[in-house]
Amino acid sequence: MSTVESRPGAPRPPAAVTREPAAEKPAKPFDRPRFLKLFIGLFFLFSFAPIVLVVLFSFNSSRSLQDFQGFSVRWYETFFESESLRDSLLASVQIALVTMLIATLIGTLLAYGLVRARTRASGALNILMLVPLVTPEIVAGASALLLFTQIGFELSLTTIMLAHITFSISYVTVVVRARLAAISRDVEDAAMDLGATRLATFRLVTLPALWPAILAAGLLVFALSFDDFVLSFFTTGESPQPLPVRIWTQIRFGVRPTINAIGTFMLVVSIVTIGLALLLPRLLGRRESGLKVLLGREGA
Amino acid sequence: MTENRFAATFLVPGGLWLLLLFVVPLLCLLAISFGYTDDLGEAVYGTRLDNYDRLLDPDYLPVLFRSVGFALATVVLCLLIGYPVAYYIAIFGGRWKTVLLALVVLPFFVNYLIRTYAWIAMLGDDGLVNGVLDTDLRFLNTPYAVIAGLVYGFLTFMILPIYAALDRMDPWLIEAGKDLYGSPWQTFRNVTLPHTIQGVLAGSVLVFLPAVGDFVSASLLGGPSEVMVGNLIQQQFQASDNWPFGAALTVAMMAFLMIWMVLYLRAAARETRGAEA
Amino acid sequence: MSAIRFETVTKRFGETVAVRALDLAVEKGEFFSLLGPSGCGKTTTLRMVAGFEQPSEGRIYLDGEPVETVPPYKRHVNTVFQSYALFEHLSVEDNVAFGLKRQKVPRGEIRTRVAEALELVELRGREKARPRELSGGQKQRVALARALENRPSVLLLDEPLGALDLQLRKQMQVELKGIQREVGITFLYVTHDQEEALAMSDRIAVMEDGEVMQCGSPEEIYEQPSGPFVAGFIGISNLLSGVVDNGGVKLASGVTCAAELPGDCAQGSEVHVSVRPEKIWLDELQEGMVSVEGTVVERVYVGTTTQVIVELAPGMRLTALEQNTARARSDDRWEIGDRVRLGWHPEHARVLR
Repeated sequence: MSTVESRPGAPRPPAAVTREPAAEKPAKPFDRPRFLKLFIGLFFLFSFAPIVLVVLFSFNSSRSLQDFQGFSVRWYETFFESESLRDSLLASVQIALVTMLIATLIGTLLAYGLVRARTRASGALNILMLVPLVTPEIVAGASALLLFTQIGFELSLTTIMLAHITFSISYVTVVVRARLAAISRDVEDAAMDLGATRLATFRLVTLPALWPAILAAGLLVFALSFDDFVLSFFTTGESPQPLPVRIWTQIRFGVRPTINAIGTFMLVVSIVTIGLALLLPRLLGRRESGLKVLLGREGA
Repeated sequence: MTENRFAATFLVPGGLWLLLLFVVPLLCLLAISFGYTDDLGEAVYGTRLDNYDRLLDPDYLPVLFRSVGFALATVVLCLLIGYPVAYYIAIFGGRWKTVLLALVVLPFFVNYLIRTYAWIAMLGDDGLVNGVLDTDLRFLNTPYAVIAGLVYGFLTFMILPIYAALDRMDPWLIEAGKDLYGSPWQTFRNVTLPHTIQGVLAGSVLVFLPAVGDFVSASLLGGPSEVMVGNLIQQQFQASDNWPFGAALTVAMMAFLMIWMVLYLRAAARETRGAEA
Repeated sequence: MSAIRFETVTKRFGETVAVRALDLAVEKGEFFSLLGPSGCGKTTTLRMVAGFEQPSEGRIYLDGEPVETVPPYKRHVNTVFQSYALFEHLSVEDNVAFGLKRQKVPRGEIRTRVAEALELVELRGREKARPRELSGGQKQRVALARALENRPSVLLLDEPLGALDLQLRKQMQVELKGIQREVGITFLYVTHDQEEALAMSDRIAVMEDGEVMQCGSPEEIYEQPSGPFVAGFIGISNLLSGVVDNGGVKLASGVTCAAELPGDCAQGSEVHVSVRPEKIWLDELQEGMVSVEGTVVERVYVGTTTQVIVELAPGMRLTALEQNTARARSDDRWEIGDRVRLGWHPEHARVLR
């Protein structure tokens, strides 16, 4: 039942310890692993219970949330048959796609500039790039709404896209920058040495080495945009509204079983997207997994 | 073209975009917080401090304090729940570390709204719990429900940094500590905790900051007496159409959060310098 | 006209001066090495020739033409990097063909030339392999082939053999020398390994702290070092400090030895005497040799020779070399603690200031 790992290669403890640790396992401050295990078990129970509930009841044949009366896909049918909900789904996908493309482009360029250029503005730009990551979404949403109204830009899918892109750029830059820093300068020097101009070097050498990070960042941005609520809420027009905003409205009007179906569907989309982000680099010929790429730990 | 100029051109699109669509709106927000609404209900720029005065009204000041209170409660609860989870996975996870971490993160692939909604489904008057237990308990529209929603929403942000800190730690330190200090609690307090304090701080910041400004949990799980500053802001911008006041609320909240952000960055920098020394 | 000429070239990075008033000329077809410890400026000098750095002062001429306005991709030089810098996403043949494609050489010609290049570096058959499948030595050959393919007028090599193990390094040294002779291109070679430089070069420039201490053929550098640094950096220098005394040198141990003094050594000036270990005889001295006495403190067996370290006086030690031939086995002869006599011909001692 022990889950403790021994570490045969670990160094001997410092001189202060005089006892023989030989067959002893590392100490646990609680010293009662069973308590901890129970705690973890409860944690996962409470963590998954609501989600299991949502997924389970999305297949409930009745509208009750209290007893499961039989398997049915009627709520999914309601979801996909509703024209307005379909429009919202399409809107969410559109927004996420455009955000992904533009944010990835701008973010990659920004990452390259931050790593390779030594200008006086670099430090300030670096901070500017990081601030959106720590800005609460409500601040982002309110200021975006203010801007668009001030310049007379009517709220629509475009305003949502603009807001999403603004806050996605930083994610791309951070991921791509980590990968770029790991690419040796030598390789770019070698390309120039062999006759490639700076632009050709970027196109033929830097980008091919960078694309797993770009891909992973792009998919991350897609998932974040697809799931986003607060930003969309502030910058959305009348119609169509992205899916999370519709969910909000539906919840405010009371608990509806269709929400379960929509929620489950969005869960699947998110899992698939992140799964692709993790697996695609490996599938398309790189040895490293997407997870390492996202965390910036891919080797050169 | 020298290398620097070539690479520097790459900075232009991103720099311009962030400047125009991030910095400028924030500046507008700051500016309009000193404004007022005219007779037509339009927001107008000005130089008044009225909006900031209003923050101190008995109608609004409690909301600000409540937001901070809820956020603090959220941080404490996330710590109490999250630390043991992170500890278990880091120290006892063994081969299953990645799987366990994935399981911790998985619920967060569900949309935040849906997750909060799931709590309504469970705890509502017509919800699962009341149905199964055949009772008529009131869970929702209480501060506890809101805090529970916040904790559920941000727990992962506490678990991951603490896990990272624990994972980096040499487990022999705990063993050595156990020999030096008699009780496991002492070992924890004097060995484990100090070594993971960076993770604790990072997690606390990652939970506190969004929790203060959250309005989803309070909106869906709470009632009029659980209104948070996020709800107020949202109302000003959408229902009441009092943008200058909403802006003042936002600026005040941002300023408050910035203080903690700066303090955290200073503490983090000091720690890195200490570690390098 | 020299292949490369440096005219009072200085390079500064902020406050640090990496290269100081360098005046050097590398002739066509030469195998020229820049030798020195890390931080001496040799790599910076190489990078300036390649075009990756610009001199802060002075000018560099390639084939007589100044190059400060010429970017790296337009210069007729190519570099072999210490890290190989191969393009991981391209195959071996695409790596080698990279430069040719930039020059818009027709496809058929590219194929033949790539094949020739791979033949030259003995990598025939590995055309389709990816860099990550190759060993260090193979990667080095691809880097070499890729650079040579462009037919540069100068090939720059930045410690290319640094990452290889000893056997492979020795083998590659011979091969590189052979290739250079065969192809006839000027090689500018950077290394910190003095044996490597001595073995391969036509001429060597020994650098320290951004300056050239001495420039000459391997024999000149080894037998006639111009100063204590060069003497100490190349081989074992056996530097003894002393004072000029009546046409000889009075060593700190009290003994006066005869030595050839350079022109302007005044009586009483402080100098160093340097004798190469292989020039020192143990016990069986010849007529006319300078002789000193000391105690054996250490014996180091290195296979082909044995180093016998003798202390003349506290802090004054000489290392002598004995060949481990069947005839003279030093472990039979000198034990630690034995008193021995060391001697050398006066003309083998260098007096340095």
